Amino acid sequence: MIVTALSIVSLALPLGPSDGEVIPLSPRERAVHLLARFAFGPRPGDVERLMEVGEEQWIARQLDPELQEGPILRERLGLLDALELNPSEMFIYTSYELPPKSTREERIAQGNYRGIPKWQLLSSIPLRQTFAERQVAEVLSEFWRNHFNVSYTKSWPAGLYIPDFDARVIRDNALGSFPTMLDASAHHPAMMHYLDNMLSKRPMSAGELATYEQQVRERSGSKELAEEAALIASKRGVNENYARELLELHTMGVDKGYSQADVIAAAEVLTGWGLASGKDGYYGFFFDQSRHIDGNHTFLKTILREDKNDGTGQGDRLLQVLAAHKATSNFIAEKLVRYLVNDNPPPRLVKDVAAVYRKSKGDIPAMLREILKSEEFWARENYQAKFKTPNEFLISAVRITGTVVEDTKLLTEALGAMGQPTYRCDDPTGYFDTAKDWLDPGVLTVRWDIALRLAAGELEGLRIPAEFFGEIEAGGSVLSWMQELIARVLPGGANLRTQAMVHEVVRIYKANNDEIDVQVLGPQVLGLLLGSPEFQCQ
Amino acid sequence: MSMNSPLSRRNLLKGAAALSLSTQASALARMNGYGFDESHRTRSLVLIYLRGGADFLNMIVPRTDPSYELCRPTIGIKADEVVELSRNWGLHPALAALKPIYEEELLVPYIGVGSPHPTRSHFDAQDFMNFGAPGDRSVVNGWMNRYLTLSQKTEEGTQNEFRGIGMQRLLPIAVRGSYPVLAVPDDFASRRATSVLDRFGKFYGADGEVKEDSEGEMGSRPQPADGLDVLQSGKNTIESLRRFREIVSAKGLQNFGYPDTSIGEGMQRIAQVILSGEGLEVAAIDFNGWDHHARQGGARGSQANKLKELGDALAAFRKQLGERIGETMVMVMTEFGRTVHENGSGGTDHGHGSGMFLMGGGLRGGKVHGSFDGLRTNSLYEGRDLPVTTDYRDVIAAVLRGHMNFKAPKDFFPDYKAKKLKLFK
Repeated sequence: MIVTALSIVSLALPLGPSDGEVIPLSPRERAVHLLARFAFGPRPGDVERLMEVGEEQWIARQLDPELQEGPILRERLGLLDALELNPSEMFIYTSYELPPKSTREERIAQGNYRGIPKWQLLSSIPLRQTFAERQVAEVLSEFWRNHFNVSYTKSWPAGLYIPDFDARVIRDNALGSFPTMLDASAHHPAMMHYLDNMLSKRPMSAGELATYEQQVRERSGSKELAEEAALIASKRGVNENYARELLELHTMGVDKGYSQADVIAAAEVLTGWGLASGKDGYYGFFFDQSRHIDGNHTFLKTILREDKNDGTGQGDRLLQVLAAHKATSNFIAEKLVRYLVNDNPPPRLVKDVAAVYRKSKGDIPAMLREILKSEEFWARENYQAKFKTPNEFLISAVRITGTVVEDTKLLTEALGAMGQPTYRCDDPTGYFDTAKDWLDPGVLTVRWDIALRLAAGELEGLRIPAEFFGEIEAGGSVLSWMQELIARVLPGGANLRTQAMVHEVVRIYKANNDEIDVQVLGPQVLGLLLGSPEFQCQ
Repeated sequence: MSMNSPLSRRNLLKGAAALSLSTQASALARMNGYGFDESHRTRSLVLIYLRGGADFLNMIVPRTDPSYELCRPTIGIKADEVVELSRNWGLHPALAALKPIYEEELLVPYIGVGSPHPTRSHFDAQDFMNFGAPGDRSVVNGWMNRYLTLSQKTEEGTQNEFRGIGMQRLLPIAVRGSYPVLAVPDDFASRRATSVLDRFGKFYGADGEVKEDSEGEMGSRPQPADGLDVLQSGKNTIESLRRFREIVSAKGLQNFGYPDTSIGEGMQRIAQVILSGEGLEVAAIDFNGWDHHARQGGARGSQANKLKELGDALAAFRKQLGERIGETMVMVMTEFGRTVHENGSGGTDHGHGSGMFLMGGGLRGGKVHGSFDGLRTNSLYEGRDLPVTTDYRDVIAAVLRGHMNFKAPKDFFPDYKAKKLKLFK
């Protein structure tokens, strides 16, 4: 009996490569692989459906910008009324007048009120990742969120800007053009605020310096000190934070052919790029000419000329130079291949994708197609070869179980507990993107806990439907039911230990119960499967 | 192991040959005759890493340098607010709890420490510093992890699980690497955490092997995803956390004045492990949030709040350890210093030279170490930053030698020219 049952699972597994021969992925494995990397894992039946429509059709549909989302997701998102508000509208939405002498309770109420759009955004993201038809857009949005990191951990006004940032910078461009997204990020108040560019300004003018020097001289009585003070003050003003991360994290990559002088030049070009807070009711990006350092600047040996007609023209040109730079194509290609193929990105594929970037001027779907048609993507060595990030683990567990998401609160909390809360990464680098960084014991234990709780129905607002556990067919055995469940949760295959472990759980259950209730046994098995080594990989 | 083994120490640095590393390394250690004696087993080294590039110039304040006030008109610590240490130096007032420790000669504030590498990038500088290899991206084992590998004496399989710990969910970089170091999540002692470990014990091979299925032939099939060491990592997790709980949760938490924050709790746990006598040698913990580009504040404000946490945690740690502080060393480090002059936003940008605190026994305490040439523009690195007058690797090497009784092999730090510091009595 069990021999037959096991052979069902073994269909999903290749035969042992004992002779060193590499066996290409089977059609089923290819479907599993595609759903693992270009979606947040399969939902029940997805593997079969993909195999039915075929890879090409599936990919074409995923990359079709006209693809509409289904009614479930639209209805859920429709209830979240703050998602599409721009910062000015958000200001009105979150306005909560505090009396001149506010009490602690009133300030807490204000904080709660301001928290509403944040919770809406942080609800919408797992909802989209779980239910969106256009999975590739969600997979890529997650990638770009990490690439152009901004964070709620910055002070309150971040809350005015981040929902709009997610909509207008990330989601609008996730499958568009990289240069357009870069431009949108640089013109967004969330980024200006997060990386302090709103504070960057020209140093004092000659006249202002002379006044200052005079003041210091009168105060200290020392000419030497006053001169020194003026020299120091002449350099004070520019904030390099955004310019540095723009080069290092957003475009060229660290140490890729630019110098400290280039960082300073970029920072000077970008002086004046900042925020308006309530000027005529306007909240958002604002260029302040009076804070800008006028004149031409040399950046990467290119002269960026002052644009007399357009204050941000010079900075826009800077962004164009960066987007067109070869280092940028290499950096973006490498990160994409690492994300979608392997932690150690195959160099040849990186080269090919970078070439596509340059040829297509940063067209993101073109780069994805290059990856999808590569040998490397489909190589067995890259199958199930990536350790899931906490976010990937969580969403794939919710998807594969067909979980009904009544409330997203515990999803958000789970991400926090695993160290990857959305839009709360302090460091501008974003979260780690390789397995070795997420494989620590502290993270594994939290994963296991969540796996058990989700399966047992202990996470409020997350319900696995009864039909997921199926039933033991008339005349069928509990073992074939078990194998069926294993194959459903681990479509990439289950190893011997896992099969034997689950078998033992079933045996113990059978020994202690006269009747088999799959609604009791099922969650026990599922919790272990979601915590198994195999489920941690994609 | 034969003398012409292909394992070079270079490979060791890079984390190759990780599987049988422990035996090879101990053989290597014998071969090269590193000088450590028995007593280093009882010595502990704790690293508090300030992530983000902490502004040491507001922590160890050159109180008599006239340029200081000019460079920092709004964020500088005013003369009457500085906690006086010596004629020229003082502490930030939020670090006042450290003054008695300084007077006990258990504290060394070190000014001008840093990496010779010019990067002002957080993640590069953090990696370079914690891997102990400025500018060399091929080194992937943290310096504390390399210490653990090279100094182990026991045979494979008998090593002490608690020679190294990271007191947080994700390991700090300095302890990452091929030597197994435990990352302790903050809720490790809860009942729920215990039952979770039990549920997965067999699954990950921590509670014996699963029996061959007698009913059917499993055959040999490739194990999916076995290249990722998930299984091994899970097994280690379960075994070590169980033991860790035995050591630590048996002792109740007493109030030594630790701040009620993760750095406070983490330091208290580390102290407990040290006092348990389980042979803890290195522990590391990260302290986040030192990237004060804007609104850093002076005597009060956002950096001051962080400093209060740091100072109080160190003082409580010293109090809890009692006499044991003599065999313990705490290092407080960061990736780079910040610009000497404040920027236009009441903050400081990424700079170069920084500082360090050392707290523990045997130090030449009671004075500020490091060479300092004032803050005049022409004394600064690139006219803007504190210069690096002491290579941070010199300090680490001095601590490993003077405190841990471990003489680092020549290439412990690649491409490094050793300079001996007079840090210990």
